[in-house]
Amino acid sequence: MTTQVRGRVWKFGDNISGDNGIIEFGMVRDYTKPYDEKALAETCFKRIRLEFRSQVKEGDIVVAGRNFAHHNHPQVGVAIKACGIRAIVVESTDTSFVRKSLNVGLPVLIAPGITRLIADGEQLEVDFATGAVRNATSGTSLASKPYSARMIAIWQSGGLVEYLRQTVDAARVAAQ
Amino acid sequence: MGQTMAQKILARAAGKSAVDPGEYVTVSPDYTCGHEIFWLMNKRNMDKIGVDRFARPDKVLMVIDHTTQAALGSAYHEAHKSLRDFAKRTGFENFFGAGTGLRHLVLAERGFARPGLLIFSDEGNIATVGAFGALNVHLSWEVLATLVGDENWVLVPKTIKIDLDGKLGFGVLPRDLVQVVNRDFATTDVMAQGCVEYGGSAIAELSLDDRQTILAGAYHAGADTAIMAVDAKVLAYVEARAQGRPYRVVASDADAPYAHSARYDLGALAPKVTVPPEMASVVDVGEVAGLAVDQATIGSCAANRLDDLRAAARILKGRKVARHVTMYISPGSQEVIAGAAREGLLEIFADAGATVLGPGCNTCWGYLGTLNDGEVSISTHQHNYHGRNGSREAKVYLGGPYVVAASAVAGKIVDPRELLAERT
Repeated sequence: MTTQVRGRVWKFGDNISGDNGIIEFGMVRDYTKPYDEKALAETCFKRIRLEFRSQVKEGDIVVAGRNFAHHNHPQVGVAIKACGIRAIVVESTDTSFVRKSLNVGLPVLIAPGITRLIADGEQLEVDFATGAVRNATSGTSLASKPYSARMIAIWQSGGLVEYLRQTVDAARVAAQ
Repeated sequence: MGQTMAQKILARAAGKSAVDPGEYVTVSPDYTCGHEIFWLMNKRNMDKIGVDRFARPDKVLMVIDHTTQAALGSAYHEAHKSLRDFAKRTGFENFFGAGTGLRHLVLAERGFARPGLLIFSDEGNIATVGAFGALNVHLSWEVLATLVGDENWVLVPKTIKIDLDGKLGFGVLPRDLVQVVNRDFATTDVMAQGCVEYGGSAIAELSLDDRQTILAGAYHAGADTAIMAVDAKVLAYVEARAQGRPYRVVASDADAPYAHSARYDLGALAPKVTVPPEMASVVDVGEVAGLAVDQATIGSCAANRLDDLRAAARILKGRKVARHVTMYISPGSQEVIAGAAREGLLEIFADAGATVLGPGCNTCWGYLGTLNDGEVSISTHQHNYHGRNGSREAKVYLGGPYVVAASAVAGKIVDPRELLAERT
């Protein structure tokens, strides 16, 4: 399976809050039922870019600046993924946001310099196995820290639950 | 090159002699700590994975702390029953039911937070275990991985050193330092994917309660986790509670790599207020003094220990909460509430007209004390953004226990030093 993602960029600025920007805190209190992906997608980024919801397309990529999605509950990644976004590339964020998003099958790459590399609407190519990030519109690129083999496996399983199911199954088979 | 405390703890858990900042390693944690909010989700996922018990129940703690009062209108009472039933059925011992306390405090009080240990938990604020020389890794619902297995990946954090010198002045609390650190770092990414290591000459004088308050705030400045050096005060506390369970004190080497260093003089601090909705909007209390408040709340993992209640009582003793203000106080655990009872603090709170809630997260996430449109609260909570405590149109100001208690009495935000001065 490929470890590359290519798509059109939606570019955001610095210090965008997860719970109080990308979505609303009122949507993160209930874990007794499965996530309401439709409602999360409807809310996603609407306070920051009104046209996002109506114009975002399956396969697009989010690029952002410093401290992206600070103060994030797991629903932040769920909301962004439910809009069709297939990768996030940022100047910086906290490790828990990388984990929470990866765990629902949405990879987040930390690539310092990304906001200088690409403009809104341009085509970006990201390879999570090598950390290579390339502006496909201009041809310029930068290097960043790649994902580990385990992170790639979680992503390509579609998320943590399926990854763990396969791991537990494989351990059972090996024990027999 | 030497190693920091965080590197040494992760190296041991990875079975390696050393690890580098920025390295991905697979580790086996000493404990995994979860709570009831994620439980039904984790149970559904355990069913999908095909496991009906924890892989290493001896290394897991489950604590009911967000919904201590299983309230009408919330479905979390189902999580209480499900967790209780699971613990009974599988013989899982480290289940702490409603009212035991916040898992931050349960980890400390029950001897789980010990020097050199690696703790996986569901939130960044549990960096409080760093006061005992243990390292918290924030995993959200991903604690699932070590409920069904015994390992997970982690990123070795870079370490940011913050040295504290001097002595807190009159009317100033460690919480004021937390707010200043948030002001200085929350909109930078200096702490991103890092561990803050607090040190300096001022630490020795700080109580373990105060040290936990300082570490509870690190996540809001942008850090993944935080830790402090272990001293005799820590060892005495841990030894009394460890019940013979092992630990190993680790210290950062003199030539350990620090990605950034900063220094604060505690003597130069003054009472602060964090203005909604950003954590970096921190001002001197005087700048917002006079703003009428509807609610005043002492609680959250950053201010629900005995020292915090003592501070509130110092203001509230012999005084009344203003008639139009609702005041809630949430002691952090059974141990804290018992200590507050022994010292007469509960009587002071009741006489003042404050409501003492059961140990829990309670008001900090709007589960209790829900705010309405246009209402203003001042609290020792961990967050100040829109909708955190109820309505998106409410305003949540943050301060230390002195500021909150003084504002409750005045009915408006005030500098607590005025009320404290009348006592001296």
